[in-house]
Amino acid sequence: MSQIQIFVILSGIVLTVLIAWYFWFAPKASTRAAVSASGAQEVAITVKGGYTPDVIVVQKGRPVRLTFTRHESSACSEKVLFPDFNQNAVLPEGEQVTLEFTPAKEGEYGFQCQMGMLRGKLIVE
Amino acid sequence: MTVRDPVCGMEIESQSAFAQREHMGQTFYFCSKSCVDQFDADPHHYVMTSATTGFNPERTLTRIELPVADLPFYKPVTTLETGLRALEGVHGVTTNAGAGVLQVEYDSKKVNIPQMAEVVRASGFQLGGTNIRIDIENLRCASCVKFIEDELKSTDGVLSATVNIATQEATVDYLPQKATLAQLNAAIEAWGYKPRTATSDAPVDKQEEAHAREYGRLMKMFWFSAIVSLPVLLFAYPQYVPIIRDLSMNTIRWTWILSAVATLPVLFYSGYDFFTGAWAAFKHRSANMNTLIALGTGAAWLYSTFAIAFPSVFPEGTSEPFYDVVAVVIALVVLGQALELRAKGQSSAAIKKLLGLQAKTARVIRDGKELDLPVEEVLVGDVIQVRPGEKVPVDGVIVEGSSAVDESMLTGESLPVSKKKGDEVIGATLNKTGAFKFRATKVGKDTTLAQIVKMVQDAQNSKAPIARLVDTISGYFVPIVMILAVWTFVIWFVIGPQPQLVYALVTSVTVLIIACPCALGLATPMSLMVGIGKGAEHGILIRSGEALQTARAIQTVVLDKTGTITKGKPELTDTVISEPSPVSSDQLLKFAASVEKVSEHPLAQAIVEAAQARKLQLAEVQDFEAIPGHGVSAKVEGRSVLIGNLKLMNREEIALNELEEKSKSLADDGKTPMFIAIDGKAAGIVAVADTVKEDSAEAIKALQSLGIEVVMITGDNRRTAEAIARKVGVTRVLAEVLPEDKANEVKKLQIENRQSKIVNVVAMVGDGINDAPALAQADVGLAIGTGTDVAIEASDITLIKGSLKGVVTAIEVSRATMTNIYQNLFGAFIYNTLGIPVAMGVLFPFFGLLLSPLIAGAAMAFSSVTVVGNANRLRGFKPKFSAR
Repeated sequence: MSQIQIFVILSGIVLTVLIAWYFWFAPKASTRAAVSASGAQEVAITVKGGYTPDVIVVQKGRPVRLTFTRHESSACSEKVLFPDFNQNAVLPEGEQVTLEFTPAKEGEYGFQCQMGMLRGKLIVE
Repeated sequence: MTVRDPVCGMEIESQSAFAQREHMGQTFYFCSKSCVDQFDADPHHYVMTSATTGFNPERTLTRIELPVADLPFYKPVTTLETGLRALEGVHGVTTNAGAGVLQVEYDSKKVNIPQMAEVVRASGFQLGGTNIRIDIENLRCASCVKFIEDELKSTDGVLSATVNIATQEATVDYLPQKATLAQLNAAIEAWGYKPRTATSDAPVDKQEEAHAREYGRLMKMFWFSAIVSLPVLLFAYPQYVPIIRDLSMNTIRWTWILSAVATLPVLFYSGYDFFTGAWAAFKHRSANMNTLIALGTGAAWLYSTFAIAFPSVFPEGTSEPFYDVVAVVIALVVLGQALELRAKGQSSAAIKKLLGLQAKTARVIRDGKELDLPVEEVLVGDVIQVRPGEKVPVDGVIVEGSSAVDESMLTGESLPVSKKKGDEVIGATLNKTGAFKFRATKVGKDTTLAQIVKMVQDAQNSKAPIARLVDTISGYFVPIVMILAVWTFVIWFVIGPQPQLVYALVTSVTVLIIACPCALGLATPMSLMVGIGKGAEHGILIRSGEALQTARAIQTVVLDKTGTITKGKPELTDTVISEPSPVSSDQLLKFAASVEKVSEHPLAQAIVEAAQARKLQLAEVQDFEAIPGHGVSAKVEGRSVLIGNLKLMNREEIALNELEEKSKSLADDGKTPMFIAIDGKAAGIVAVADTVKEDSAEAIKALQSLGIEVVMITGDNRRTAEAIARKVGVTRVLAEVLPEDKANEVKKLQIENRQSKIVNVVAMVGDGINDAPALAQADVGLAIGTGTDVAIEASDITLIKGSLKGVVTAIEVSRATMTNIYQNLFGAFIYNTLGIPVAMGVLFPFFGLLLSPLIAGAAMAFSSVTVVGNANRLRGFKPKFSAR
């Protein structure tokens, strides 16, 4: 086995570990919702190739107000779904769309676009 | 003097103002040069008096009627009246409690309606105006809030107005007979802002528009990449193309350099979405289809460019570029996305059809004048005129006139329903014969139609449990494909044939390109959308993807008896006359109905209705007497009539002879017999019963032929229950079940087969409030749409048409949709599990077969189109057993 072949194999192993670590095991940064004067937990989310922020921490039993603004025309992200809360909204490009609901139980709830290409997570504490 | 700068809204001292201007008899002060410049550009824009107020400056006193919701009849409202009179500018107040209005004469220059409204509220009364929220586009400047509020308040008929900059919304209380929405909008426009009221069908139209724009954009991107692809493709394989074949190596090198330059805009224009999408996903530590396409085409371009820039670095024969892969793959995938978008548009056809039922305008009568208003502006309490052939615009109650209304579009009832004063009419139904006026009770998003549309849309966007499994898989899918691509490269490089680098690169790029997470992701939602829409078309509202998935596996259907199998309303079934009889059958019924007309017993209504149906003239009744627990007695046309049960006949010592036998057999059939004696002699029997719906037996047979066990549940006595069960072919009857135990019985059925480890999937069909707990307990609760709101709320599926056939159709829709979902998932899964290994080259050692990245690109693009296409196939679904 030549040196270059060994190098390629080692690179393959390193890349595999990196991919697995980066996408599955690395801890994700999360955003805590700010509580507004009205008592709702408010977060503004930008939709462009993904949700920013995509991991949102909220408290249970308090209304959550998520304002989505979509900055792309790709049809994939035109809807956002919260299947666990039976909430969904169409996001016209450039318009602010607000979803409001109150999570009653703690846990991790996913949200996503209709076909699941963009994903985010709502962590209820 | 403190004044307000009309441009920015700042409060300034008039002496220290930067500048001042005279316009239309008013003096304006400005804080800065920029404000005065803006004013000079369009002074009229800032004039405070509105063109929309409609005040007549010639008349100093204005008269207005303020509707007050709870004016008492019995005592004077002195606090209210003196309170209003105390306002400067109010000249006279008259209370008209009957009409529920305050008539106020006032000087509109000194006092305005919001001030009067304030006094009314402070005295503890509610103003009967109406409330509306108007969205204001791009409301950015905080100072404009005050101006818009003032402008709205100075509009005639406005009681109060607040503008919220955070929600970009104006909330206005106004008197609909004075102001229209158009005037309110004009007030907002006067300040240069664009008002926008939510209209029911706008989202769908908007979405369609957005889709059309996106389709255009994608097609432009496709054509650009397709045109570039053609020459790039020709020069990529010079050995196969005549003329190019004969060019010198040097010339061909130059065409490759040109290809490198030409494919760069393809990457950055046509492939823009892939690269930005991939980067955005990468930042979120996630990967999707964009990542794969961006990696594949990016790697191909970089390698190619490196290869032609430094050919000496590469082993002999490996320094050839793959620009064709870059251009062709991007062209194909973009085309696939465009086709997918087009196919998606068709799947929302059901919603469009429903929204198309909505009337566009309504003829509203306000202040005795007929106004043609857009249906969005109709308010609760408005009286609306509907002529023959017109659509009923909103839900309401008829106050004048009568007609026949075709409600088939919503209830499935094929015959027009006759409506008279006091009857409810539903928006979007079609008025057939007569003209009528009705009072609106539900408008906007509260109408039956809007509720149905909302329900269907929510369900279409909900998730079937199977989709959650798919989500988990696709969360791992893309990184796994990336790892597979890495190892494909490594293996081909280490043990592959010469030229190793080229093989390694081509195979790993092919793996990245052929993998299609989209097909997996689309499989469930697309079918769900079409399937739930299809259900709605057949009068079946499926509330969620979960209900749809569960309905497929229903093993037991529990049917509530009253109102579900039966009509839920007693009807006259038999009239028997004694032998010899003093009267004829019609006379018997006439006597019975005449007496029962006075009675309040629920069964009495059935007898009266039957007599009316036979067009019998009812007689006057004297000496009516109810005998509790027995029946009634009365005098009709001078003859004494007794109607009641056996006990009554025995008490009066009336010989029944063969009638007693007859009554027993009627009771065995589940009917309620009533004896009638005239002048002390037995005359006959009338029997009433809750009759079975015409198509119940047929529907139950169809359910049984699907292999589903049908169980009847009722609170009625066993004899009546079994009689009905026999009639409709149900063998298992749960009778004498208390309302609170219904849910328990359903639970028992669910765990019945626990020993055999099979969980019984139980559906419950009901209509009443008492069915709600059982509907919620069942795996699938189906509410009959003619039933109560509570039952509908507790259910998973609502059958708009009152027929039991809907249960069969619901199961059919569910089965067809789930089959379609499985086909899609199977297809997408097989495609990926076969495609990826072939792309990796597993067939190469045996057949020497390798997949070209171009073919991989085409396969990937059309796999998702196929999924959407297959989902659209569901649109052709027709229930075999349809509820008419």
